[in-house]
Amino acid sequence: MRTVSEPQSGGPISQVKRGLALARAYLPLTFNFAQRELKVQHKRSALGWAWSLLNPLSRVFVYSLVFGVIFRFQPPEGGSGQLNFAMYLFSGLIVWLLFESMIRGAMQWLISVGDLRRKVYFPLETVAFGGAAAVGFQAFIEALVLLAFMTAYGNVGWTLVLLPVVLLFAAMFGLGIGMVMAVFNTRYRDVENLVVILLSTTFFLVPIVYTEEIIPEKAYGLPAADLIGANPISQFVGTARDVVYFLEWPSVARLALLASYAFGSLGFGWWFLNRRSMALSEEM
Amino acid sequence: MSGAADLAIRMQGVSKSYRLVRDRPMSVKEAVVRRSQRRLVEEFWALQDIDLEVPRGSFVGLIGHNGSGKSTLLKLLSGIHRQTTGTITVDGRLSALLELGAGFHPELTGRENIYLNGAILGMSRRQMTGAVSEIVEFSGIGDFVDAPVRVYSSGMYVRLGFAIAVHVNPEILLVDEVIAVGDEDFQRKCLDHMAELRRQGVTIVLVSHDLDQVRDLCDRVAWIDRSLLVEVGDPDLVCDRYLASIHGEG
Repeated sequence: MRTVSEPQSGGPISQVKRGLALARAYLPLTFNFAQRELKVQHKRSALGWAWSLLNPLSRVFVYSLVFGVIFRFQPPEGGSGQLNFAMYLFSGLIVWLLFESMIRGAMQWLISVGDLRRKVYFPLETVAFGGAAAVGFQAFIEALVLLAFMTAYGNVGWTLVLLPVVLLFAAMFGLGIGMVMAVFNTRYRDVENLVVILLSTTFFLVPIVYTEEIIPEKAYGLPAADLIGANPISQFVGTARDVVYFLEWPSVARLALLASYAFGSLGFGWWFLNRRSMALSEEM
Repeated sequence: MSGAADLAIRMQGVSKSYRLVRDRPMSVKEAVVRRSQRRLVEEFWALQDIDLEVPRGSFVGLIGHNGSGKSTLLKLLSGIHRQTTGTITVDGRLSALLELGAGFHPELTGRENIYLNGAILGMSRRQMTGAVSEIVEFSGIGDFVDAPVRVYSSGMYVRLGFAIAVHVNPEILLVDEVIAVGDEDFQRKCLDHMAELRRQGVTIVLVSHDLDQVRDLCDRVAWIDRSLLVEVGDPDLVCDRYLASIHGEG
């Protein structure tokens, strides 16, 4: 193994090549970071792993209670003719939870590894991808619970096979944004507070706890429905709902759009983190 | 030294500057409020124009005052920081003992941390499985290997860290005064082990303030003073000149 290090990195193609070679060389470390994240998460808690289910389920319960029971939102009819607000909610919420955990996680992973990175060399991406794998595992469990619900209500169809694809794209989209935010957050810790506010605002600007139909066409002179519909997260949520709740196949164009969000976001985030990586190790 | 010799490390014209920002804003608010104020940015050269060749299998000592740039040099070699100018060529698997047990997670057991630390140092799980019993044996932590690291004494912590670092089969080992911690017995063990690694052909770069140790172990010594490489050569010769310069100044 021979490494030549120079202050300036080469052109874009050699950078991508080097990035991929590094990713392969550090796969075991990425895997170890993922394992560490999963093992440490619920150490010293009595309920342990149950927490990773209690959190999403409690949100499904609270939102169903407030919006389904108190506000009496009528969910549209599901693929098999069911009307169930909790199912309608959960099928969109699962995407949101994944997106949110990627962004908030990325900021925490980078901070937690700062001390180590000042003492040992390893590419910072490893901790981001390792953490992402752990969050992905969490989403996998949530998806199983969602599928169990759907099966219990008899709302199942072949379109469900697309759920992992939609979730993967949403995860990549979130991770890319998370990487950029995480880099800023190592410099100014305010970023995390700001992101939390932005996330809780965005959550209500996406049709998760309400339906697309009730959004007014125009509000305060703005085309509210179009704006909310154009939000990439709305489209991820909508597509997940299509395949899980309505049991409808999304158009190829829609999937291609989601893929371009996913690869665009992750590509930029990875590039940005990589570019700032050396400077971060001196600042962290 | 001819340039054609088999080199483990080659540094050509390497310099490193750090930007010292006085009162760097720590929050967005500060950054905005102070936008108009001039920020004092100072450039600090930790190393300047270093040319150093380390032949494969040699044991090189780095000496110099505190703050002369020795640790910066190791950081550049291990890739923790990147040089501002110049080229560094490292030929071989490198393991750095800059801080022992740096990657330990307190909630994980010693065994889990061995795997995690091994991965940080670039080892696969299979390679680590082969080394675990040797690591436990060498560190002498016994049954504690299955207890979480947070209950370890600081001595056990360091011993486990050292044991891992030297058992990842490095071809090049960077050591930064870490063995100064730990008791007499363990220090002896570390030094013996480094001598053993050297016999196996491992290239070692050691930063030390213990000149007797340096004379004893090293076959070449590099003296760094105020970011410049003053001299490289025979341990006795360089150590004597270094001592003479200290007494001369004093």
